[in-house]
Amino acid sequence: MAERAYGLLAEFESPEALTAAAKKAREAGYRRLDAFTPFPIEGLARTLRLPRPKISWVGLIGGCSGCGFAFLMQCFTNYDFPLNVGGRPLYAFSAFAVVMFELTILFSALSMIVAMLWQNGLPRLNYPLFAAEQFHRASKDRFFLCVGADDGKFDKDRTSGFLQELGASSVESVGR
Amino acid sequence: MTDQSDILPVNQSMGGVSDQLTGIPLHFPAERRWLIAMLFASLLLLMFMVSVVELFTRGVGIWGINIPVNWAFAIHNYVWWLGIGHAGTLISALLLLTQSEWRNSLNRFAETMTLFAVICAGIYPVLHLGRPWYLYWMFPYPATMNVWPQFRSPLEWDIWAVLTYLTVSFAFWYTGLIPDLAAARDRATKRGWQIFFGITSLGWRGSAAHWLRWSQAYRLTAGLAVPLVVSVHSEVSLLFAAGQIPGWHSTIFPPYFVMGAAFSGFAVVSIIAISLRSWFGLKNLVTDDHLDLLGMVLIATGLMTAYGYVFEIFDALYSGDAHELQTLADRMTGAYAWTYWGAIVFNFIPLQALWWRIVRRTGWMLMLISISVVIGMWLERYMILVTSLYRDFLVSSWSHFTPTFWDWSTYFGTIGLFLVPFLLAIRFIPMISIFETEELLHEEKEEEHG
Amino acid sequence: MTRRRSNHVGAKPAGPRLWSSIEELSGDPAFQAWVDAEYPAAAEFTPTARRQFLKLMGASFALAGLAGCEKSPFVAALPYVDQPESETIGVPRIYATAVTFDGYAQPVIATTWSGRPTKLDGNPDHPVTMGRSDVFMQAAVLGLYDPDRAQAPTRRGEPATWQDVVAAIALLRGSWSKDQGEGLHLLIGPQSSPTLLRQLDALRKQFPKAQIHLHAPAGGAARRDLMAAVYGQPLDLHYVLDDCDVVVSFDDDLLGPGANQVRNARGWAASRRRSSRQPGIRLYAAESVPAATGAMAGARLMADASRMAVLAEAFAAKLGISGAASGDLTPAEQGWIEDAAKASNAAKSRALVTSGSYGDVGTAIWVARINDALKSAVLKFSQPVTGPSDAASLGDLVADMRAGKVQTLVILDCNPAYTAPAGLGFTDALKQVRSTLHLGLQRDETGELCEWQLPLTHALESWSDARAVDGTASIIQPTIAPFYDVRSVHQIMAMLLGEIDPAADAAVRQTWRASFGGDFDARWQQALYDGFVEGALPEVSATPSGNAKSEKPAGKGLDIVFRPDPTIWDGQFSNVGWLQELPKPLTTLTWGNVVTVSPALAKRLTIANGDNLEVMIGDRSVVGPAWIMPGQAENTVSLSLGYGRKRAGRVGDGLGYDAYGVRPADQPWIAKGSLRKTGTNETLAVTQLHHRMEGFDLVREVTAAHPSLAKQETPPSLYPPWPSAKNAWGMVIDLDSCIGCNACVAACTAENNVPVVGKDQVIVGREMHWIRIARYYEGEADAPRSFFQPVPCMHCEQAPCEMGCPVHATEHNSEGVNQMVYNRCIGTRTCSSYCPYKVRRFNFLDYRAPPQSPVHAADNPDVTVRSRGVMEKCTYCTQRIESAHAAADKENRGLREGDVVTACQAACPTRAITFGDINDPDSEVSRLRRDGRHYALLEELGTRPRTTYLARWRDGGGGEG
Repeated sequence: MAERAYGLLAEFESPEALTAAAKKAREAGYRRLDAFTPFPIEGLARTLRLPRPKISWVGLIGGCSGCGFAFLMQCFTNYDFPLNVGGRPLYAFSAFAVVMFELTILFSALSMIVAMLWQNGLPRLNYPLFAAEQFHRASKDRFFLCVGADDGKFDKDRTSGFLQELGASSVESVGR
Repeated sequence: MTDQSDILPVNQSMGGVSDQLTGIPLHFPAERRWLIAMLFASLLLLMFMVSVVELFTRGVGIWGINIPVNWAFAIHNYVWWLGIGHAGTLISALLLLTQSEWRNSLNRFAETMTLFAVICAGIYPVLHLGRPWYLYWMFPYPATMNVWPQFRSPLEWDIWAVLTYLTVSFAFWYTGLIPDLAAARDRATKRGWQIFFGITSLGWRGSAAHWLRWSQAYRLTAGLAVPLVVSVHSEVSLLFAAGQIPGWHSTIFPPYFVMGAAFSGFAVVSIIAISLRSWFGLKNLVTDDHLDLLGMVLIATGLMTAYGYVFEIFDALYSGDAHELQTLADRMTGAYAWTYWGAIVFNFIPLQALWWRIVRRTGWMLMLISISVVIGMWLERYMILVTSLYRDFLVSSWSHFTPTFWDWSTYFGTIGLFLVPFLLAIRFIPMISIFETEELLHEEKEEEHG
Repeated sequence: MTRRRSNHVGAKPAGPRLWSSIEELSGDPAFQAWVDAEYPAAAEFTPTARRQFLKLMGASFALAGLAGCEKSPFVAALPYVDQPESETIGVPRIYATAVTFDGYAQPVIATTWSGRPTKLDGNPDHPVTMGRSDVFMQAAVLGLYDPDRAQAPTRRGEPATWQDVVAAIALLRGSWSKDQGEGLHLLIGPQSSPTLLRQLDALRKQFPKAQIHLHAPAGGAARRDLMAAVYGQPLDLHYVLDDCDVVVSFDDDLLGPGANQVRNARGWAASRRRSSRQPGIRLYAAESVPAATGAMAGARLMADASRMAVLAEAFAAKLGISGAASGDLTPAEQGWIEDAAKASNAAKSRALVTSGSYGDVGTAIWVARINDALKSAVLKFSQPVTGPSDAASLGDLVADMRAGKVQTLVILDCNPAYTAPAGLGFTDALKQVRSTLHLGLQRDETGELCEWQLPLTHALESWSDARAVDGTASIIQPTIAPFYDVRSVHQIMAMLLGEIDPAADAAVRQTWRASFGGDFDARWQQALYDGFVEGALPEVSATPSGNAKSEKPAGKGLDIVFRPDPTIWDGQFSNVGWLQELPKPLTTLTWGNVVTVSPALAKRLTIANGDNLEVMIGDRSVVGPAWIMPGQAENTVSLSLGYGRKRAGRVGDGLGYDAYGVRPADQPWIAKGSLRKTGTNETLAVTQLHHRMEGFDLVREVTAAHPSLAKQETPPSLYPPWPSAKNAWGMVIDLDSCIGCNACVAACTAENNVPVVGKDQVIVGREMHWIRIARYYEGEADAPRSFFQPVPCMHCEQAPCEMGCPVHATEHNSEGVNQMVYNRCIGTRTCSSYCPYKVRRFNFLDYRAPPQSPVHAADNPDVTVRSRGVMEKCTYCTQRIESAHAAADKENRGLREGDVVTACQAACPTRAITFGDINDPDSEVSRLRRDGRHYALLEELGTRPRTTYLARWRDGGGGEG
C-alpha cells in the first residue's frame, strides 16, 4: 500500500452496473470520478458530468487555416514569378480550388486528432492505475469506476465500503 | 440497414472475442500459411526492386511507351491502385457515419488495405518521371531560380491530393487502432510484445473522458474522409479530362472514376475479407451476413459504373464530334477492342450472379466475382488510357502500344509491394476492431434482454 | 546569313571579318608573330614547309588543339590558350563554299564555330538555288564528321604514309611512261570540277594511251545517255519552270530527289504562286511508281513503266505529230491524254513535256519530238555540265580487265565493287589488275579490294571547285583544316602528274588564274566571298534526230524498275545517320529499303507490308520486304538502290537489301522479272502508320471556282488576352507548295541537334524529329491523291501542353513562342499527352552520341543537347530569334522582316514555309494569314495555333483548275 493513494478502483461486471454505480456515487456527493471501459458507453459521460469536448471547433479552425494557406500560397507563387501558361489567367481560382480543398481537409483532420491526443494528455505511457491488479481487464470485459483520492469526500475505508455496496466485484486501492 | 437483425452471433462473450482477436498477433495461428504467402509476396517485391533499378539506370524507355502513347502502365496502374484504396476509406468512414455496425468487422483491414494500396499508387507517378530525382520540384520551396510549381496542372493537384489522402488515411487508421493496441498490450505476456504495444498504444487507458473526445475526433475525421475520397479520385480523373484528347475530354469522368474506384475497391475488400476469415477462422465475426452485404454493395457500385459506360457512349454520340465518335468506334472495334469488351465482360457479366442471395453468401463465389471485377477494372483503365492516346486528332501521329517485360514486371512487382506490408500488418496488428466488435456485441445483448 | 551580309570583304568590316581560308588566317601577321614566339623553329622552315606548318597550326587551334587524337580528334576539347585575332568566342564565322552531289556543286553558306562547321544553308545569292537546299546538302556536314572515314592511307589494309604513296606513284609513273600509259585506266564518278577535268586532260597528255571510264550508278548521267541517243549528242536539259504554264511528265520525277530538285522545285512553286485566283502552273503526270511529281500533279495517270513509250506516242499523235500512232488506250489513258493535250495546245510554247532519266529511249524520243513540235521555249539545252564527256563505260573497263589489258586502275570517287551491276562481275575482274588505287572518303567495298586506299578530304575541308546544274562554277574553300591525314583529290591527281608535295590550293588557283587573268587576286577573293563565279554554261540548240529507234525491254513478266533511294541515294550516304533516319517521302520508311508493289498486285499475291519478297530478274534474285504503294502501276515493281552495304561503316552496314545484285548491266533502269513470297516477313521502321485522312479536314483544298475557304471565327475563350511584346512570331505553311522533300526536317535536325535514335527506337515510335511531314491519301488505294503536310509545333496561344506541366517547364514568352525549358523538365510527359498535334518528342532513353564520337563536333553550340528524360520540340529556332534580337539591339533598331529565318524556312526549296512577325501587318506572314486559302489546323479546339496553313489548290486537270 503506497504512502499517498491515487484513489480507489472498483470493478464491475457490466456497463449497466457501472453506470448505476457512477450515478449513486455522484448522488453520494463524490466528484472526482472517472470510469474506465473497453468501449465507449452511452450516457456514462452525462452521468459523470464530463464537459463537452471542443474538438469540432479545433477542426473548424484547422480547416479554415488550411484553406487560407493554400489560397495564399498559390496566389503568391503566381505573383512572385508570373508566367503565361497557355494563356490562362495568372490567378486561376477555379484551378486553385483543388489544392485549397485538399489542404482544408488535411489541416482540419490533423488538427482534430492532435487536439484529441493533447486534451487526453496522451501519449503518456505510464499511469498510476496501470499498477492495479485487475486494470488490464479494462480493455477487455470489465468496467471500472475510480474515485480520486483528492476528492473532498474521499476516505479510504468508507469509500471502499460504499463502493462494495454498489456491487463492485472488487475494490482496490491504487497508489500514486 | 441491419440494425434490427443481429449481424454477430450473440452467443459469444466479449472477453472471448477480445482474446480471440488479440490472440491473432500474440499467438499467431497460421504461421505456415503466412510464411508461404510472405515468401511469394517477397519474391514479387524483389522483382519490383529489380525493375526499379533497371528503370532508374536506363530510363522510362525500358517500357513500351512512345509518342503518342507516352502514358501507359505507370499512370494506368496508378489509377487502378488508388481506386482500390478508396473502398477502405468508404467502408469505414461512410458506414461509420451511417451507423451501420456491420462495418465493425471489416473496417480495420479495409483501412489497412487502403493505406498500402495508396502507397503502391503513390509510387507510380514517381517511377514514371523522366527524371525522378527531380520529383521535389513539384513542391513549393524557394528554389534558386525562383521558380514555383504550376498549380494549374492536374499533376500538381494529384501530388497534393494523394499526399493528403495518404496522411489522413493513416491518421484515421491509427486513431481507430489505439484502443485495440491498448487491448493487445494488456493481453501481451512476452516482454517484446508488451513494449511494442505499450508504446504504440500511447498509454491508452479507456477513460470515459478519453472515449468522449476520441469518438468525437474519430467521427469528425470520418466525416472529412468521405468527401476527401470523392475529391481525390475526381482529381485523378481530371488528369485525363483536363486534356483535350478525344475519349478523355468529358465531364462524366469524375463521378465515373469515383464509382469505378469504389467498385474495384469493394471487390478487393471482399477478397481480403473472405480469405482472412477462412484463414484465421473468423466466421463468427466476418459472417455470411457480411458477405451478403458486401455483395449488395458490389452490385450497387457495379451498376453505377455501368451507368458511366452508358453515359460515355451517349456523351460521344450527343456531342457529335467527329474525333469523339472516331475514338468511340475505335474502342469497340479497333486494335484494343479486347480491352473494352474485356472490361465489360469481366466487370458486369459475372456481377449479375450477385442478384441471388445464395451467391452473395457463398464465400468462394463472391471471391471469384470480385477477382473478375478487379481484372475488369484493370482492363478499363488500360482502355481509357491507351485507346484515347494511340489514335488522337492527327491521323499522322496515330501509333500503337505494346507493353514490354519491364511494364509487366513493375506492375506485378507493386502487388508484392502491397502484399508484404499487408501481411506484416495482419501478423502484428489486430485485424478486426476489438472494441467496436465488443461494443456491437454488447448492444446486441441489450436488445436480447429488453 | 544575315551576319554575312553585314561584313563584305573590301568594305571595312563591322563585326567579325569574313575569314576566307585557314591560310589567310595563318597569313595573319599577329598570328605569325605568335607562332614565331611559340615555335622559334618554325622561322627556319622552307616556305612550303612553313605554309604547311602554319596551316596545321591554324587547323590545330581552329580545332581548339584537337587534331591528332587517336579515336577522334574531338575527344579532348581544350580552350584557346591565346585567343586568335578577330575570333570572337560565341560568334560563328560564315563561309561561302560548296559541297558536291552527283558531280554537281551545291552552293552553301557554312556556319563554323571555333573552326567547326556545324550547319550548311543554301547560298541566297546563287542563281540556281537562291539559298534553297535539299536533304543531301543539309546532311553533308555530318559526312565530314563521319567516324568511319578513312583517316590515313593504307596499303592492302596496312597503314602507310604519304611518303610511301609518293614512292609508289613514282614507280607507277615509271612504268606508265614506258609505253605512253598503256594499261593505265581511271574509273571515276561524274565530275564537274574544272580543275579535276583539267588535271585529267593533263594526265592524258602525259600518257596518251591512258583510258578514262565513267561510272554513275544513278543520277544525271542516265539522262545524258538518253539524250545522246535522242539528239545525237550528250546534253543537259534545263527546265525553265518559272515561265512555264503546263508540264506533262512521262515518268519524270522532276520534283523528286536529285541534283535538279532544288532548281525545279523552286521554279515550280514560283509559277504555281503566280496568281491568287488559281494555280499558276498545271502538272499532268503519268507515273509508274508514285513520287513527289505525281503527288503534286493535278492530273495523275498510273501506267506501267514499259507503257510510257506508247503513251508518249499516243500523246504525240493527239498533238498531230507525223509518224505517231495512237495505240489502243484505256479510257483513263484516253481522258488523261486529251486533257494534257488540250492544256499543252493552249499553253503552246509555254508548255513542257518531260521524260524520266530512268525511262526508256522510246519515251525520250517521242517527248523530244513533242517539245520540238510545241516549240517549247521553257526547255533549254547545254553541253553536259559533268564529265569527262568522252569517257568509256564501266562495261568496257571490265572487258579490258578481263582481257588482262589493265595494269593500273585508279578508282576515283565511286564505289564499283558495290554499285556495279552484279552481272558485270567487276570484283572478279579486279583481281586481274596488278596495281589498284582507290581515292575516296572511306575505305569502302572497293577501297577494301584495292591495293592502295588513299583517303580524300571532305568537300568542307578541301580546296576545289565544281559547277552547279546550270554550269555556274563555285570555288570550294575549306571551312576547316583536314583533321585526318588526308589529301584532296587535286593533290593526289597532282602526284599522279608527277608533282611532289603539291599545296592544297595550288591546282585550283592554277585553273582559275587562267580564266580570271589579270586581277586574279581581287576576283579570287570575290569568288570566295560570293561562293560562285558568274556565268552559266552557254545554251545550245538541239533537234531530235529522226532515226533514233527505241528498244523494248526484253522478256515477259512484271516491270522491275530501279530508283535511287530518296535519302541515301546510290548508297554513298549510307553512313550518315541523319539521312538514314529521315523518313522517305511517300513511305515514311527509315533505316532500310522496300520492294514497292501495287495494291492490285498485292491482292493478287496476298502480300502484306513487310512480307519478304524474292525479286527475280534472269537468273539473279534478291529478297526484300514488301511495301504496298497506293497509286503504283499494277504490274510495276520498284527496287531502290543504296542499301545492303557491307563496308559503309557502323551506321550503314547490313541495312536493307542490295538491289545492285539483280540489276542487269544492259537494262539498268527497267527490266522484266518476276516475284514470289518467301513466307518470312520483317518489321519496317516507318514513322507514320496510318495514311488515310479518315474524313477529317486536316488538309484542305480550294478550287479556281471557289478560291477561298469559309472564313473561320477564332473560337471564343474564357481567358482574358495576354499582352504581346513588340514582335509576335507566327508561321504559315503553304500546302500547295510542299513537295514533301524533307529538306526542312534535315535542316531542323542539323540546326537543333536533334538526336538520331536508330531503327529499333523508330519501330517503337520514338523518332525525335521536331517537324514531321505528314502524308495523307484520299480516294481509292489504287488511284489515290497524295498530300504532304509539314507539322512543326503549332505554338498555340492557348496551349494545352503548358497547362499540364506541373513545374513550369513549358510556358509562353511575350512574343508568343511556346518555350521548352529543358533543364526544368522532370519528364511527366503530360504536355505531350495533352498536345492535340503530338509534335512533342521525348528522350525516353539517353539518345546522345557516345562522348568519344566526333559527331559532337557538328552540334550547334547555341542549342542545348538534351539529356535522358527530357521533353523537346520545335522552338521556332529560338536561338536564331535571340541572335537576331542581339544584332538588332547592337544597331539600336527593331527587328526587320527577314531578320529571323528559321532553319526549315531557309531550307525549303519551294518557299512553302513563311515565318515572321504577325504584329507587323505588312510582313509576309501577316499577308498570308489574310489569304483566302489560310486556315488553322484543328481550330475547333480553340488552341489558337501560331503555325497555320494555306489550303492546297485542287486542279483536277480537266481544265476547271
